[in-house]
Amino acid sequence: MNDQRIDGYARALFEIARAEGTIDTVEDELFRFARAFEGNDALRNALTDEGIPAARRQTIIEDLLGGKANNTSAQLISMLVGSGHVSELPAIIDRVVARASGAKNLEVAEVRTAVALTSDQEARLAAALTKATGKSINLKVVVDPSVIGGVVATIGDTVIDGTVRSRIEQLKSRL
Amino acid sequence: MSLLTILHVASEEVVLDSKGHVTTHSWIFPEQAELIYGVIASCLIFAALIKFAGPQIKKAMAARTARIQKELDSAAQDKASASQEAAGIRQAKGDIGAERARILADADSQAASVLAEGRARLATELSELEARAQAEMAASANRVGDELRAEVARLSIAAVDHVVTGTLDAATQQELIENFISRVGAAR
Repeated sequence: MNDQRIDGYARALFEIARAEGTIDTVEDELFRFARAFEGNDALRNALTDEGIPAARRQTIIEDLLGGKANNTSAQLISMLVGSGHVSELPAIIDRVVARASGAKNLEVAEVRTAVALTSDQEARLAAALTKATGKSINLKVVVDPSVIGGVVATIGDTVIDGTVRSRIEQLKSRL
Repeated sequence: MSLLTILHVASEEVVLDSKGHVTTHSWIFPEQAELIYGVIASCLIFAALIKFAGPQIKKAMAARTARIQKELDSAAQDKASASQEAAGIRQAKGDIGAERARILADADSQAASVLAEGRARLATELSELEARAQAEMAASANRVGDELRAEVARLSIAAVDHVVTGTLDAATQQELIENFISRVGAAR
């Protein structure tokens, strides 16, 4: 799928969510689902397997998100699976999140940690990133055990890496 | 008997013995006339010899003298040649000795040169071998050191994940997060 079509799908999803009045919730849930899609091989293989009928894959989405996520989020993801563009799901959802943040004059900051942050930590981290970048931050936290410890924040092209993983990589490189 | 003797005998008074044989007055001395004629004849013969044969004899003697002189000169020349040749041989013998001495000296010089060159070459080869051995030893030591360092690094890398992961308890995780928030907040 080319960039223009990705942007078209993102704009459509954004407009649907905004029309439903659930854009904040939906973009957050979509973001989390996209990260889970990237990090879970079984889920990714199941949803991208052309041998499985689209209806069956949509059923998987409904089973996963039913009752746990906003109905709009589940329907939008199910629509992407049904349209056969599920492999582009992370890219489309990232555009939706960026568009939603842009509508509120916010910059998306993807933060990865090994353990979940408390609400207080998220608030203080958002404030610190706002202070550091000079931009209002839409914080998106992803729990990623691969970072081992610490935090890595990505704001646009800027990466602030304070993870144990990067330090171990530096140590290995020196060794 | 010469013609004069025959004439003398014919003019002499012949004395015959009883048997008719001619006899002389002395058994050893000739008769006077025979002596005179004989002397004259001899003188004539000598004169003729001196006149006619003398120059030939003198010439022959001169030729003989010249031949003998020539032979003497030739002998002297041969002797001089022989002496010269002997001197040459003696000189050649002396030259051979000098040449032998020179050859021996050259041989000694060349032997000394070859010996010195050989020693220098051996010394060079020895130093090169020593340097090469030292370089190989150093390379081996470095290689072993590198291998050891690589092994230590490999073991360290393998241990890092385990050690770090094992020491990251919940408190440490929270401390890392708080440190990150503080550091980012203080960045500007």
